[in-house]
Amino acid sequence: MAEAAAASVKAPGDELWVRDDVDLAEWYLAQPWSDGLPVIVPTEEKVADVVEALGGEPDFVECKVPPRMGSLTRQVLAINIVLAGAKPEYAPVVRAALVAMADARLNLNALQASTHMAAPLVIVNGPIRRSIGMNAGCNLFGPGNRANATIGRAIRLVMLTAGGGIAGELDKATLGHPGKYTYCIAENEEQSPWAPYHVEQGYRPEDSTVFVIPAEAPHSVTNHVANDPQGILDSMVSAMSTIASNPAVAGGACAVILGVEHAKMIAAHGWRRADVRAYLWSNAGNTFGELSFNHRYGKVYNRSLPIWCKREPDSFIPIVARPEDIHLFVAGGAAGRFSAFIPGWGNYATPVLRPIDSAQATAANCIDGTCAL
Amino acid sequence: MTLEALKIPTAVIVTTEFVREAATQAAVLGMPELTPVVIDHPLSTLSDDQIAGRAEQAAPQVTNIWLG
Amino acid sequence: MPQRIFDPCGIVEASAKPLAPRAQDLAGKRLAVLDNTKWNGAKLLDAVVARLSQDVRFAQVNRYKKETFTKPAAPELLREIAANNDLAVIAIAD
Repeated sequence: MAEAAAASVKAPGDELWVRDDVDLAEWYLAQPWSDGLPVIVPTEEKVADVVEALGGEPDFVECKVPPRMGSLTRQVLAINIVLAGAKPEYAPVVRAALVAMADARLNLNALQASTHMAAPLVIVNGPIRRSIGMNAGCNLFGPGNRANATIGRAIRLVMLTAGGGIAGELDKATLGHPGKYTYCIAENEEQSPWAPYHVEQGYRPEDSTVFVIPAEAPHSVTNHVANDPQGILDSMVSAMSTIASNPAVAGGACAVILGVEHAKMIAAHGWRRADVRAYLWSNAGNTFGELSFNHRYGKVYNRSLPIWCKREPDSFIPIVARPEDIHLFVAGGAAGRFSAFIPGWGNYATPVLRPIDSAQATAANCIDGTCAL
Repeated sequence: MTLEALKIPTAVIVTTEFVREAATQAAVLGMPELTPVVIDHPLSTLSDDQIAGRAEQAAPQVTNIWLG
Repeated sequence: MPQRIFDPCGIVEASAKPLAPRAQDLAGKRLAVLDNTKWNGAKLLDAVVARLSQDVRFAQVNRYKKETFTKPAAPELLREIAANNDLAVIAIAD
């Protein structure tokens, strides 16, 4: 039996140098892992500052990133964080998200290659949002906030570099979506009428956490007419009850972002988080006839539908199997009666929730600090 | 863990769209010389006749992988 | 003065593993057919086995199914296949 020999693609300590007339910004932009946008040129000092923010020990391997399984040492992670334009103080959030994504239950290996429209959506809870200046309010998913923009971008760069998820090579997404540039937000805990998401999941308010769900782009839910829970949520139900989304054909979880005005109106009627999720779960879905195209293409048994669903033409199939599969957040600006439905990727993955650094995972379904939900 | 590691010569069928991914997986498994059976993409939309055509394409590759 | 490049990709640690020894011949061998449940995979496998069987007399053809196509096959399933077969064909990655 031949001895197993360690074979690395590059030995550590091998440094690459180029002539001084090379435009470094253009050099990095030309690399196969580029996301198409300019990067910050790394220097020893910038990288060292991020390594320090991660706790030192540059050779410490945080995780391996599928499908290429590149070893994400703190040094390598720091390089990606600098390239993305993220500050050292953002580094713990980026790390927590990537370690959560490397959890087998999130199935990053398949997500990177998937033809589906899906990108990891990262939602941050807890005091770290404020200490690093994240945006949880107006223009939540849009540009203008360095923390949101560059944390999400650093995560995507790691997926491209260490993970090897380069379009056309290993990333086979048919269409992709703009969230693949950056997709990171914070919950608006200050203006939410309810406890924050992470507290609902068993964390303390003073803990900071990252929640990661492979997700489609947000679907807008507009309702400027209703002033009661059922009216507002019926618009959300309408958005959720589509045969075209990933959950309709492949099951799995979704996220619901209630805008601040909508959330406050719903809470004013005494409805709580669990009430909202129960209403959405029991009303949002499609008939089996719709999902099976009324057998126009032959009689098909869809394995993604829960085994307990009836399969008569008029049988109601909920868009998610359980109310717990609706991950509910309150976020966005104070003005405007808009919310968002964010379908997941299917039952190929379980969303994960992970504390950032010192917070303790308390829920039962947590392994090595990452909790599958 | 793979069947090859368990001493079973294994022919894995992929379509042309998946060749790069298969090479990556082989490298990660420490078996870069592992080659797949390659058939034309797509498969999921084919009729039974077309599937038979893909099987013709695949069969000689399968025996080559088993016999080396 | 030369400029340093910082590689963001990291190394891939892979210890080389030998492949199984190749088969000397195919007649009389037990064939495992593993379906990963992707669409048309089972039909393709049936067609491939039928085509191969025109030239080769397998002692047995044993069919297996993965639980889901998005994750690797369970170790117990692989061990069961290895214990009861001499050759394997798997489909489909598309």
